This record gives sequence, structure tokens and C-alpha cells, in this order.
Amino acid sequence: MAPSRHSAPSAEEQLRRNTVGINKETVSNVSSTDFPGHFPGEDHAFSIDHFKSAFSVQFHRNEPNDASFSLVGIDASLANAFRRILIAEIPTLAIEDVYIENNTSVIQDEVLAHRLGLIPFNGGREGIHNFLKWYKKPEAGEDPYANSFDWNTVRLELNVTCTVNPDASPTETDPLKAYNHAHVYAKDIVFVPTGRQVEYFSGENAIAPVNPDILIAKLRPKQSINLAMHMHKGIGADHSKFSPVATASYRLLPLINITRPIIGADAEKFQRCFPEGVIGLEKISREEASTPGSGYEGHAGELKAVVKDTMKDTVSREALRHPEFEGKVKLGRRRDHFIFSIESTGQWDSDELFLEAVKHLKLKCKKLEQQVINMVQ
Amino acid sequence: MPREEYQVPTATGASASAISRGATGGERHDSRAVMTYICGDCGGNVTLSKDALVAMVQFEAR
Repeated sequence: MAPSRHSAPSAEEQLRRNTVGINKETVSNVSSTDFPGHFPGEDHAFSIDHFKSAFSVQFHRNEPNDASFSLVGIDASLANAFRRILIAEIPTLAIEDVYIENNTSVIQDEVLAHRLGLIPFNGGREGIHNFLKWYKKPEAGEDPYANSFDWNTVRLELNVTCTVNPDASPTETDPLKAYNHAHVYAKDIVFVPTGRQVEYFSGENAIAPVNPDILIAKLRPKQSINLAMHMHKGIGADHSKFSPVATASYRLLPLINITRPIIGADAEKFQRCFPEGVIGLEKISREEASTPGSGYEGHAGELKAVVKDTMKDTVSREALRHPEFEGKVKLGRRRDHFIFSIESTGQWDSDELFLEAVKHLKLKCKKLEQQVINMVQ
Repeated sequence: MPREEYQVPTATGASASAISRGATGGERHDSRAVMTYICGDCGGNVTLSKDALVAMVQFEAR
């Protein structure tokens, strides 16, 4: 009899299809196969109901600058789209133009400007995300400030002069004590609100560097830096200073399958093949030892290796190098379990960034949909 | 062209080498507040206050 149109694979077969094999020197079963037409007699057409029932999100860690969560039941193409949007397409505010009036420090104007551009800033979220809009660069020949408004340009100033500290001992060798302002830090940058910016960026909402102790330059007495800066909104695809994340990456959930018992001294060695907390040691119970065919016969009270937490594994494959574990363990990764790690640079919260990435992808899909509609009309 | 022939552009002579060179030398920031030029037409002095002096250089921070 021919298989029915919608026959479902067995749980075992489903697990096999969902596992990327990690072998001693190769990686096997790397491509996903859950699309229509791959398996004869099976229907893998996308359905939103099926996706909804299979999809889940679990948070492991959620701090403003560091979030980690799992997306389970999603294809690599979508997970990767989110990762790429996080890095390159979510707008942030960064220093774009530097107007140097005086720079007598040893650091060159253009290098100084570049360094200033890379400093991450924070400020009132409502103002940064909703009040501030894109800035359009004026055309050649146009007034250079024709497009600068309070809703697209933030002005900052940095005015520092190094002087001799009169209170310091004449034999003082530490420049930080012998001079005032020997080091120029990000906290020396002053925000100058213009127009309606006062409403959004005052008090603790003022635009300020996320990390006040970033060293910008070093000065010696009589050297000074006087400059003004304009911040604009931009995206990471243009310049990485606009990227809202320090890292946005994912890895697949590691799988460790102990197929035959690992007992005694071997179990302890096996535990040492993995990072701490991945493999646990348990005493073999009398029940197990008395079950014929369990592999534990006559080993009651000895230690056996059990898988405790594969999330902590780094998939080093060390266990596969030792002959005593040959045929006893299978390593793999779950193809549809993505462990995301997002570290924000401060202008967004890390979890908020992911939601923003989802919004961006949705918008892209809507645009594509409209273009397809236009094509057939 | 031998390297030894290269002359430091700001060095005008052995006697002048004692004069400090570059902006980091003796020049104080205060002294830049007012600058006096000789007028080419009348020969008199023209004083520029700092406001007129603001010669900012623009850089893109990238």
C-alpha cells in the first residue's frame, strides 16, 4: 500500500532529521529537510498553526546589556535574518561630524574624530527612538546646515585644557596627579540641547556616554582640545559605530547521547572531557544493577556518567578522541534550537532589540508582499 | 635623491632652531583670542577677535 499523503515520521526519525551529527572529524546531516517535496508522501507545507504550536521562546538571562534566550522550532534562515538585522539594520545615534576648533594634543584630528565616533551614547529612550529622525546630508553646494534640526542632530562639545597642578609635589611623576586633565575621558563630553531636545533629554535622560571612563586622549600642560560634534542616526550597515549590539550571535543546542553505559573511572574521565556541569556522576542503583541487559549488571554502587546540562557544552569533541568511549557516545546539535546571545551597547535594552528585529523583518516581508502583488497585477 | 638632503620644513636655520615650533610649543591658548594683522591697503593694524577667528575643521567620525 502506498503511504498516505500526510503520513508523519516516527518520533525517532523526527529526532534523527532534527540532529546535526558531530563526528570525530566531520559534521553530518547539515541541511534542513522539512520542506515540501523532500520526503515522498509527506506534507511539509508551511502552516502558521503548525509553526505556532511548535515554536517556543525561553529566556536564560535578561539584563539590559546582556540577554540570552532560546528560539525553538524555527528555521535557520529566519534565525539568521534576526541576527543580521540586529547587527546591521536597527538605527542608533552616534557622533557623525566633528568640528575641530583647536587640537594641540598629540592625537591627530582625523584619528581623534574616528575615536569619538566609536563612543556609545545613551539618553532618553523616547527621544532617541521616536523624537529623533533620519538626517539627510545636504547636497554639494547646499548650505551645510540646511538639514540640521533639533529632531535629527544632537550637538555635543568637548573643551579640555591640561594645566600643571599647583598642589602637586614638584617631584611627582604620575601625570594624573602632576597635571589637571592629563587624561580626556568620555565623561568630559558635554551635551548641548537645542530646540525641543530639552523636553526629551533633560536630567537623567540627557545624552551621555554609556561608559564614562573611555579614554579619548592624553594631554600635557598647555595642550588643549576644543571641538564640537554633531550626532545623527544611522545603521550598522553604513558604519559599525551605529550597530546597536556588541555581539549578536546564536549557537545550536548541543546534544550528548550516551548510548552504552560509562562506568567507574571511565565515567570520571568522561566528565573531564566536557566543561563543568555538563556531565554528572550518579551511583548505579541496585535495581539497575539487577536488570539484565542494562549494562550495569554487577556494578551496584559504582558511578555512572549521566548528561546533566548540554546547554553548557562547547562541543569540543574531546570525548571522541579516547578509544574507551568509542561507540558509547554520540554528539550532535539540535537543528531548530537556537541559543541567542545579544549584548547591547546601551542605546536599547537587549531584549527590546530582538523585538525590534522582529518588527523590521515583518516590515520587510510586507514590502516584499506588496511588490509581489504589484508584479501580478 | 639621498635622504640626508631632506630638510625639516619648519627649520629655517641653526640660529632659529631654538625658537619653539608647532602649536604645542610656547603658544598659549589665551594668546589666540586676539590676533593682529597688518592691513595690505592702509598699512595699519587690523585686529580680529576670536569670533571672527573660528576656523573650524570638519571631520567625519568614520
